[in-house]
Amino acid sequence: MKTIKVTLDVNNEKITLQVKPYETLLETLRERLSLTGAKEACSLGSCGSCTVLVNGKPMRSCLILTPEVDGSSITTVEGLKKGDKLHPLQETFMEKGAVQCGFCTSGMLMTAKGLLDRNKKPDKKAIIKTISSNICRCTGYKKIIEAVEEASKRLG
Amino acid sequence: MILPRFEYKKARTIDEAMELYNKYNGDAFYLAGGTDMIPLLKQRLFSPKAVIDIKGIEELNVIRKKGGNLLVGPNVTLYELKENPHIKKYFPCLFESLDATSCETLQMRGTIGGNIMQNTRCLQYNKSLEWRTARGFCYKMGSKECNVVPHAKLCFSNYCGDNAPSLMTVEAKVRLVGPDGIRTIKMERLFSGDGKAPFTVKSGEILKEIVIPLKETKGVYEKLTVRGSIDYPLVGVALTVIGSSARVAVTGIGPLPRLYELKEVNEKTINEIADKAYEDAKPVANAVLTPAYRKKMVRVLIKKAYNRIESGGKR
Repeated sequence: MKTIKVTLDVNNEKITLQVKPYETLLETLRERLSLTGAKEACSLGSCGSCTVLVNGKPMRSCLILTPEVDGSSITTVEGLKKGDKLHPLQETFMEKGAVQCGFCTSGMLMTAKGLLDRNKKPDKKAIIKTISSNICRCTGYKKIIEAVEEASKRLG
Repeated sequence: MILPRFEYKKARTIDEAMELYNKYNGDAFYLAGGTDMIPLLKQRLFSPKAVIDIKGIEELNVIRKKGGNLLVGPNVTLYELKENPHIKKYFPCLFESLDATSCETLQMRGTIGGNIMQNTRCLQYNKSLEWRTARGFCYKMGSKECNVVPHAKLCFSNYCGDNAPSLMTVEAKVRLVGPDGIRTIKMERLFSGDGKAPFTVKSGEILKEIVIPLKETKGVYEKLTVRGSIDYPLVGVALTVIGSSARVAVTGIGPLPRLYELKEVNEKTINEIADKAYEDAKPVANAVLTPAYRKKMVRVLIKKAYNRIESGGKR
């Protein structure tokens, strides 16, 4: 089957690729670009562990075909830090103990980043609502919510 | 999970999309958000020859006011529609159902058109190919009998859209464009009542617009789920009061949302409608809660919705 040429801006780096028409963005990121931060869990859009930012909006990369996002800018968890400095969300996630097995963490971070980008000072209710779209089976969410609250303070 | 092989085509206009559809002899899917469609493809419930991306069609992407109507393009995302000030002001019922649909992240990708036109669901149907092969295909998949109700030559799958029922209560219409031209039908006429082919849409037709008459309404949406976030309604009730009359729609049970109209809205008429909806609801064991419980909840949720409207819409 014919491949399709796509140009993506992944973590501020322009990349041109030949992809299969039925290839998901998650497959492209993990298997072609070795960006394994985004994880595949349910693969049906229910768990959120594959969340990345597409043009600044958090999206499930397992439900997006790579040809669909031709020309878009993609931010994965690998692109969250600035130089050597971690993003405040990454710092607070470590400090508050919001990471246990770590499988959901990249999705959580990207979902939280999406929230803080559109709402600088979210209240606890808004954080819970946004974070509820991602499944975490270890932490019980309390630490994650605390970490997002703390990060919004530091960013503010 | 790997997707089946298909070709990917981008359409810039409606005509181009229909042309592509014809080129593949109808063995193609229109793709907007894909949040509902991609899982169906991954589970091999469908494997079309081509997928036609219609996100690039500008005219399907706008919300505008025209002649006392609000015209909503089907490619408007659920989140964008929810944030539109007209929705909150005029149609609180629709606002609540949009808010109750899935989660914020999926609302940013999923579109209103795709949400309305989602396929019906069943515990025996929405499974992987391996699971379904081991179990034996059901009536919806082309076998002779239903897998849920033995010997039934009928599909009992549930329509699980949140927003079609609330759109029905605000008297919305849909405009479809196809090879035979444009036609506008009432929202409730979009549903065939047949679980195997739940829509009355003809082959190749595209949802062009959703037309909602701009009237101030009062309304609420009540939804029964097991998971607070990201869940299909096991029962959903939309209630909108327009002046002294009201419209109630029940979703999540059977292949179509049922609409009930009340000329006069008060406690007595609501109780009558709740009883009627309870009688009409015929759930079977094809969702995660028992049919008896889901049936009872139809009456409960209609009364609850009315009580909330009486107390000003607050939860």
